Amino acid sequence: MFFLQELERVISLHPSFFGPRVKEYLTTKLFDDVEGTCTGQYYIVCVVDAFDISEGRVVPGSGLAEYTIRYRAVVWKPFKGEILDALVTSVNRQGFFADVGPLPVFVSNHLVPSDVKWDPSATPPQYTNNSDQVIEKGTHLRLKLMGTRSDVGSMFAIGSIKEDYLGSLT
Amino acid sequence: MTSVLDQNFGSESEDENFNPAPADDSENEAPDGSDAEVNVKQGARQRRASSLGSNDSAESPAHNPDRRKKNGIVSNGAGLGEDEEDDGDANGSVRDEDEEDEDDDDDDDDEDAVTGRPRKRLRRDPRNQYLDVEAEVDEDEDEDNDEDEEGQEPFIADIHPDDVDELPAGAEKDDRRHRELDRQRDQALQMDAEKQAEILKEKYGRSTRPGVSSVEITPRRYMLPSVSDPSIWAVKCKPGKERELIFAITKRREERAFTRNPIPIICAFERAAMPGYVYLEALKQADVFAALIDVSNIYPRSKTLLVPIKERPDLLRVIKSKPLEVGGYVRIKRGLYAGDLAQIEDTEVNGHEVSLKIVPRLSYGLEEDSKAPMVAGSINAADRKRKAGPNKLATRPPQRLFSENEAKKKHSKNLNMASSTSDRKQWTYQNKTYVNGFLIDDFKIQNLLTENVNPKLEEVTMFTEGGADGAENLDLAALAASLKNSTSNESYLPGDIVEVYDGEQQGVYGKAVAVTGDIVTLSVIKGALEGQKIEVPIKALRKRFKEGDHVKIIGGSRYRDEVGMVVRIKNDNVTILSDLSMQEITVFSKDLREASDSGGAGGLGQYAIHDLVQLDPATVACVTKVDRESLRVVDQNGSVRSVMPSQISNRLERRRHAVATDRNGSEIRNDDTVREIGGEGKQGVIIHIYRSFLFIYNREQADNSGTSVLRATNVTTVAAKGGRVAQASNGPDLTKMNPALQKNGMNGANGANGMPPPKSFGRDRALGQTVTIRKGAYKGLLGIVKDTTDSEARVELHTKSKTVTVPKDVLSFKDPITGQAMDYSRFSGFRGRGGGRAGFASAGSSSRIPDGGRTPMGVTQGGRTPAWEMAAGGRTPAYGGSSARTPAWQQSGMAGGRTPAYGGGGGATVNPYEGSRTAYGGLGGRTPAWDPSSRTTYGGSTNDPFSSSRTPAYEPSARTPAYGSTSTYNNDSYSAFPQSSSNSGPNDARSSRAAYDAPTPAAAPTPSASNGAAYSVSTPAAAAATPYGGEVETPYSGQPETPGWGAGEDVPRYEEGTPSP
Repeated sequence: MFFLQELERVISLHPSFFGPRVKEYLTTKLFDDVEGTCTGQYYIVCVVDAFDISEGRVVPGSGLAEYTIRYRAVVWKPFKGEILDALVTSVNRQGFFADVGPLPVFVSNHLVPSDVKWDPSATPPQYTNNSDQVIEKGTHLRLKLMGTRSDVGSMFAIGSIKEDYLGSLT
Repeated sequence: MTSVLDQNFGSESEDENFNPAPADDSENEAPDGSDAEVNVKQGARQRRASSLGSNDSAESPAHNPDRRKKNGIVSNGAGLGEDEEDDGDANGSVRDEDEEDEDDDDDDDDEDAVTGRPRKRLRRDPRNQYLDVEAEVDEDEDEDNDEDEEGQEPFIADIHPDDVDELPAGAEKDDRRHRELDRQRDQALQMDAEKQAEILKEKYGRSTRPGVSSVEITPRRYMLPSVSDPSIWAVKCKPGKERELIFAITKRREERAFTRNPIPIICAFERAAMPGYVYLEALKQADVFAALIDVSNIYPRSKTLLVPIKERPDLLRVIKSKPLEVGGYVRIKRGLYAGDLAQIEDTEVNGHEVSLKIVPRLSYGLEEDSKAPMVAGSINAADRKRKAGPNKLATRPPQRLFSENEAKKKHSKNLNMASSTSDRKQWTYQNKTYVNGFLIDDFKIQNLLTENVNPKLEEVTMFTEGGADGAENLDLAALAASLKNSTSNESYLPGDIVEVYDGEQQGVYGKAVAVTGDIVTLSVIKGALEGQKIEVPIKALRKRFKEGDHVKIIGGSRYRDEVGMVVRIKNDNVTILSDLSMQEITVFSKDLREASDSGGAGGLGQYAIHDLVQLDPATVACVTKVDRESLRVVDQNGSVRSVMPSQISNRLERRRHAVATDRNGSEIRNDDTVREIGGEGKQGVIIHIYRSFLFIYNREQADNSGTSVLRATNVTTVAAKGGRVAQASNGPDLTKMNPALQKNGMNGANGANGMPPPKSFGRDRALGQTVTIRKGAYKGLLGIVKDTTDSEARVELHTKSKTVTVPKDVLSFKDPITGQAMDYSRFSGFRGRGGGRAGFASAGSSSRIPDGGRTPMGVTQGGRTPAWEMAAGGRTPAYGGSSARTPAWQQSGMAGGRTPAYGGGGGATVNPYEGSRTAYGGLGGRTPAWDPSSRTTYGGSTNDPFSSSRTPAYEPSARTPAYGSTSTYNNDSYSAFPQSSSNSGPNDARSSRAAYDAPTPAAAPTPSASNGAAYSVSTPAAAAATPYGGEVETPYSGQPETPGWGAGEDVPRYEEGTPSP
């Protein structure tokens, strides 16, 4: 789910950048630093604006100045139970991996409808029920997140297509 | 009689249900079951039959044939209702009864003729299968019988016709009873039916209830032993001999029972729960002793305890021991297989032994090579026992299925094929039976651990015979049962979400609040009991998880400490997807615990997955799997091996900046995606670069946890992480020096225009100084500098008359004022103050230039430059004339615009600064005129490089006092100055201090020196400068003075100007 979130970030600035363009430097730096990153809980999709740049505070001992920047960003946080569209990236016997934007999702074969079977002899290997459902690399499908796991700077999820209206989008 | 009749009407409902017998139908033509009168009639005529009409009273089989007959019909009728009549296809026996009843009715009077009932007896059995006659014995029966005169006598129908003649003489053979029956019937008819019912009810109620209660309830306390009962003594015996002893005592008692001296004990028993004791019940302790005389293995004299009365019931409480079930698991307590898991193959009837299926531990004679050849298995066993001794367990062979090939190698004569079918191969090896590779052997139950067996999944998998397709047909249900029995309470902790899956509260789930022994208190989360706390035994509990939960395996499995997400739950079995290996693992829910949603580091100790480790000086490897005891690694050559942590010399930190080049010469770094050219065309993200080897990770690769090794020359870059090129354009790293400025600064310093480092001229200040040598062979010695070159000094040592040559750097000079030791550069700088300050300033300038402090810096340098020049005696040209040089400094300081203006004596009014300058310079011409002169005079009068060097930076403020020729001021402020600034890197503090110091005294001289207006203007200027005192601008605070000298309106311009550049 997407949110507009107010966030805060501290950026240190070398004294050589002190000057009239400080704000410019800081905002550029902010964009570079946070856009497209994952905190482990959510992904920061884009920074809308940096609405509050604090006064710089010189760090004792180094001469660098710290600026606390508050900014608004569009963030995306996947939730358990959320229904999402995904793109299959790889298929194997245990299940398949799909990407929901930046989030890799694994769908175990236990969480695939029982009539959709693993067919290793097909090229490429696929899960199929021999009618409308064919899941192979590159398939667009709709899945439901069963659980998410957050690591430092990355996330992972397992999904299910074992429900009505889930599965490949044709 | 009446009672029998009454029973018919015992309840109204029975009346309704009562279906008249077909027999009556045939007689009466109009059967009406609910008609009391008919019933009464029937009852009168066939009282026993009617008595059977009440369902309440069950009948004993030994009764009048009429009655039994009726019984069958009636119960049929009651059960089937009206169907009975047209129930043509009712089964044969029913029909039999019907016929029989007809017969019966037809032959109603036949009863008078005692003979002629041959069929009755034969038919009883088929009829009986529909009757409940034998289910209960009603006490009423006896009453009935008592009341019936005939009750005590054998029924006629029970007597075979042939036997009739043999009846005793007193036996009745006539129809007296039938007549009596009729009489009674008539009598009953006269009574009102309801009245009879009432009577019956009264009697019925009276008769049944007390009877039942009297039997059922015997308060338990009356059964408990009292002091008057015989006592029980516990007698110590040899453990393990209890049962034997009991038999011995029993035998002895029987032997002596009718002799002169019988054994006066009442009973003897042993309790399995109390090994080492037998219990004897006797009236006196002496009896116990008497009974046990000359019985071996029992020690009545050493320890005989009287069991307290209170404990006696506990002693005899039966603890139901769980029967061992075939297929269950036990653990062997001792012997070669101590601690091994075994599966129960068969149980013996006697309950002492079980046949177990064990994974054998066989060495196949390998350890006996040097010993005498083995003759027979048993001897061998004995032999081994003796020789191997205590360390048998330590050296016991590993668990492996029996292999006939191995056995044939050395022990072929001990090996016999017992039987072999396609799915069962049985061998006899060393007198033991092996079936399908498993050892089948009998064990005594006492040598087995049957409780808390806690089989581990991997142990159990050894017992599973893999199917042809490789699928394991593991009997998880049996395993779960074994586990359930042994559920140890540590698997439940407060906070676990548990579910009751057995018992009344099945389906209830909640959060465990407390765990006490085998009881878990849980706070129900959902349902009718929500919020309540209930206590549930562990046996009925299991942990509850949801798909997608992040869980950790906590024990009882080799997967312990793996973390993963639940993908499937089936009863007790939970399948999780491991975070590390992306493999699916099936474990019991009791072995799981909820983990936090954040992923673990992936390590089980020192090493984590994907770590790079050094195995030996030439080999590195990447960890692909971490087990508790070992690691799986793939080394740089691509070979996979299992190593112990002790084999790893160290862990290599990931080198963040490691760079390699791919086959195209492109730079590749960690986290880049590369693809193998040729080979398997592997693709992955670089996790480590070691020399020319790349360890890459590919999530989709199943083996080695996705890790593989490639040579850098075999790969090509697919994508650099985050687009490295783009990153370069993202802008400078704001925590480092601004590169643009750095570049200029470097150019300024090194370029052709750069000012050469200041040199000292003239006599070396070091000459004649007393110095200490800081380093080298003469370290610590005191001496006087006699002569110097550029870099060296000849020092005459105080200690011995010797003059040594040492580098100037190693000399330590004493500050003449503070006594502080300083090195040569400091000393020379100190002596030539301007130079010293210049050192600071220039040191500062390289870093200071960029940040808006650049202009003041320029000033400082501008000031310094003349200082040097002045030191050289060319001060004035340095100021005015050496414009070539000064601008060079200024340019290097990025203040290019200003200096020319300054240097040009106000010729260029380029920017606001220059504006202020200009104002200064152009203020009626007086100031410039005055300025140079004053400075010159000032500098000249003092003739001190220090003060002159000071002047530019200090100039505006310093000038006034200078003008006022207060040389004392200068001295004062400067004498204080070096001390305060000696350690401070930035000039700010020093300058600001100067700025402060200077104007303040200046305030007094100023009015005297100039007019009041100038003063009043200059004061705010000074004030304006003050806020800048702490800032980098401070050195420039001299400048505001300029407006002071010139025009007040310049002050704001300066203020504006400051931020603008």
